[in-house]
Amino acid sequence: MRLLVSWVRDFVDVAASPEEIAEKLSMRGFEVASIEPMPGGDAVIDFEVTANRPDCLSVLGFAREIATMYELPVHLPVDLPSSESGAKIALRSTAAGDSERLKVSVEDTELCPRYAAAIADVTPGASPAWLTSRLQAAGVRPISPIVDITNYVLIELGHPLHAFDLAKLAGAELRIRRAKRGEIITTLDGVERKLEPEMLVIADANRAQAIAGVMGGAASEVSQATTVVAFESAYFKPASVRRTSKRLGLKTEASSRFERGADVSVPVVALERAIALMEQLGAGRMSGPIVDRYPHVRQPAQLYLRRARLAQLLGTEVADREVERILRHLGLGVTATPDGWDVIAPTFRVDLSREVDLIEEVGRHHGFDVLAPTFPAQTAPAPPPDPRIPRDRLVRRVLTAAGLSEAVTFGFIEAKAAEAFARGTAAGLVNIANPLSAKFDTLRASLLPGVVDSVAHNRRHGRADVGLFEIGARFSSIDGETRGVGLAWTGHAADDWKSGSRSVDFFDVKGVVERLCGALGVSLRFEPIESTGTPFLVPGQAAAVFADGAAGKDAAGGVRAGVIGLLAPAIADERGAPRQDEIFVAELNLDVLWAGRTPRDEAVAPLPRHPFVVRDLSIVVADTLPAEIISGTIHTAGRALAAPLIGVRFFDRYQGKSVPGGKVSLSVRLTFQAPDRTLTDADVQESFDRIVAALAGAHGAVQR
Amino acid sequence: MTDLTPTPDTIARLRDEFGAELAAAETDRALQAVRDRYLARKGGVIAALMKAVAAAAPEARPALGKLTNDLKTDIEARVAEKRAALDASRAPAGAVDVTLPGRLTPLGHRHPLTVVRDQMEDIFTRMGFAIVEGPEVEDEWHCFDALNMPAEHPARDMQDTLYLASPLKGDGGADDVRTLLRTHTSSMQIRYMQAHTPPIRIVVPGRVYRRDDLDLTHTPAFSQVEGLVVGEGISLADLKGTLTAFARDIFGPRSRLRFRPSFFPYTEPSAEVDISCWKCDGAGCAMCKRSGWLEILGCGMVHPAVFESVGYDAERYTGFAWGMGIERVAILRYQVEDIRLFYENDLRFLEQFPY
Ligand SMILES: [Zn+2]
Repeated sequence: MRLLVSWVRDFVDVAASPEEIAEKLSMRGFEVASIEPMPGGDAVIDFEVTANRPDCLSVLGFAREIATMYELPVHLPVDLPSSESGAKIALRSTAAGDSERLKVSVEDTELCPRYAAAIADVTPGASPAWLTSRLQAAGVRPISPIVDITNYVLIELGHPLHAFDLAKLAGAELRIRRAKRGEIITTLDGVERKLEPEMLVIADANRAQAIAGVMGGAASEVSQATTVVAFESAYFKPASVRRTSKRLGLKTEASSRFERGADVSVPVVALERAIALMEQLGAGRMSGPIVDRYPHVRQPAQLYLRRARLAQLLGTEVADREVERILRHLGLGVTATPDGWDVIAPTFRVDLSREVDLIEEVGRHHGFDVLAPTFPAQTAPAPPPDPRIPRDRLVRRVLTAAGLSEAVTFGFIEAKAAEAFARGTAAGLVNIANPLSAKFDTLRASLLPGVVDSVAHNRRHGRADVGLFEIGARFSSIDGETRGVGLAWTGHAADDWKSGSRSVDFFDVKGVVERLCGALGVSLRFEPIESTGTPFLVPGQAAAVFADGAAGKDAAGGVRAGVIGLLAPAIADERGAPRQDEIFVAELNLDVLWAGRTPRDEAVAPLPRHPFVVRDLSIVVADTLPAEIISGTIHTAGRALAAPLIGVRFFDRYQGKSVPGGKVSLSVRLTFQAPDRTLTDADVQESFDRIVAALAGAHGAVQR
Repeated sequence: MTDLTPTPDTIARLRDEFGAELAAAETDRALQAVRDRYLARKGGVIAALMKAVAAAAPEARPALGKLTNDLKTDIEARVAEKRAALDASRAPAGAVDVTLPGRLTPLGHRHPLTVVRDQMEDIFTRMGFAIVEGPEVEDEWHCFDALNMPAEHPARDMQDTLYLASPLKGDGGADDVRTLLRTHTSSMQIRYMQAHTPPIRIVVPGRVYRRDDLDLTHTPAFSQVEGLVVGEGISLADLKGTLTAFARDIFGPRSRLRFRPSFFPYTEPSAEVDISCWKCDGAGCAMCKRSGWLEILGCGMVHPAVFESVGYDAERYTGFAWGMGIERVAILRYQVEDIRLFYENDLRFLEQFPY
């Protein structure tokens, strides 16, 4: 709302500078966007008016606020500026009744509770300079005296008026009705619009001539040739205007006021103001009475404000006379009672409907700044945080300690990226119905597209070694909303002045995943993924990760918690990373991991009192045999042996000279220890032999 | 062969020769050679000299013997001294260049939005708040209706809210159908109040979504920290006290807050809060656009309609709530000119923030 300071001074004798007025209003709920100086010490203050205050989309609304700030009266009626006669002309009192020249019928009183109209014979001419300059200051383009007058009243009183060229109205009548299905109107902006039955229109005998509360029609537009006009001043149901305006994608000065709530009491006053202006400017003369269709007169809201509630909510006592002063200056009716006030909220204050609304008004003008801050008493201990808070902090600490940096990307991505990482999996991608851009039209089902894009960004900027992770929500029609962690790592795993550099490989990323799960207390199982399973990973370097302790276990006793592997070069390329890059990725469902934590026995085990014995074993087996199966065989064979087996660790894997093709040499370190005695060589040898025999039997393993 | 005729002159000359040889010996091996040449039991210069002294005239023997012994003692001392000097100048076995870098991978970095969020969470935890999180995909009721935003409210326009093309199932049974991306973390206020009774003191960090273009100052997704306090007798003055304590903790003890009345459907009275600019201490600078103030959050007393929607007695309980953008705080604090930097994840940017 662009407020011309000299205009508001018509209503309230405020001497303060525009800067001071702006500053004080900004502390009463009206944010100042700018102050533009005007000639003669005048200024236009551009205020942001919040959605609850349609009454302040007017000069009069601000006059009431300023009057309250400075404890000044508001003048109504109003002197016109530079009125030649100097006479005080404000409203033209008129008789109400039916017009002989215009028939008005409201067919839908729900959407149009009040409709007033007046006829005037127009005298050709031009608007005076004072009027056009005031309109321009308020941001409105002057057009013709009649249109300028309607706009002047709009800015001054906040009430939208419309003027029809009466000669263009078939049957000299206005029918306020719903649009017919498929009815068409060309609005003042020259656009042809198709209407729907839920929309309210102002029609003549034949067709719609205006979209109620939104915009007039071109067919009955006031022009140079117009000799008789019908002024409309109505009150339309806010929700209806909002819906129509939204539906048509058409926002106007009128619609923005009606949809927030105009003043149902003001239509006749606004007409009287327009007619007074018109006659004073010599732009026309009123003909006949004002027609006012207002079947159910709305009463102002009766509210009650309790002194104790006011003090309790604000946290301070406000003197009675300060409360009364504020409310009265704002235009409210106030009657003191023993413990508070009966308050009448006028119809222009559509935001005042309950006690707390009045408390806000008192607080706003009393000033929030005068409240002494207090700290609320804590009457109960704080409950523990959402377990995801400490969990995610731990995950973040482990991953940053491993050298990866944290990324944050958007929860929505382009469909192409989402699909590339979903192919072959049951991802259940969810699209956005009204995306602003195709770049953000699909909810991410995986964190990897975002993290990989961030890696690509860094690689394009010349960064060789990039390790990033993100913790965030993923969305899928199958699993709903889940929290995961995704990571991507490329370049060098170790770059050392002594041992030289080595590229990141599968086992670097697996190590990070294992460390993370170690920190969370989850045991994991890795299973190779078939080549068709996840096409975004390279076959042979891809695994599914299972959490062993989780509820809802699969046949093997785990729940799938994620994937790990080498990103397919085609996808890395598509996402903008150099084609030769080897990007290793992993993604884990943190909710599944958290549920899969192995419960720990809190009591500590006693420390062993007898020494352990270590034996190394080298065997040759088929190179397709997973190490996990071999260790399973060893553990099974190691049960109930003379020398209990307590540890199995692979320390070498060798293929080449002296190992036949298709075979591999594996070296395993076996650790034996008994809790109750020192093991003898014979015990250990017997156990060792049994293990060798079991490996030979199960896998054809040959000891080297 | 050196002339070993035992005279004081000879002994003086030998001392000079030894001195020159010792000075020239720069390695252990050379020093050992010099030592052996003079001090070897067999064939050493001193041993030969002693033999010659023993054969000298009896009356000259005591004086020559003393001179010879002095020379021997002197040579032994100087050899030991030189050896110590050589030892001291030599690097010890297994010495390393301690200025070379260590071998562990350097630490990664937390994202700046996390750094700010963690700090906020810690401050409010100390003030007795529980930190909770809520879903990012929400339904209309939790996101709008329950927050006193009826169906025709402007905030529900398609302009602002991103809707899902197909709804997601929530975890609350068959009726729990989520249709939109939450536009604020306030929806979690509702979920928490539905599940708990007052007193309540929570902080809800999380991501929110708006139908906004990506530019220097806007992103279609950002992070908020929401706060909610509900109890008996909670006042606007308590809201001021809580936020003032928070601001002084995170922005410094000199911080002042300014509460400007505003409007939010779910709070009344409502306020926007400005903090005194920490760069110029309120005097006015480029960062605060010469105003001395920086807008940081919106807040207010919980609207009774919100309490009514979750079945609380709005007469008995009052409360306050606030919402603050983490990006906004991070932008001001780290003086980031382009909000998009937070989402590009350029390591040259991320590495400027702590572990
Ligand atoms: Zn400043």
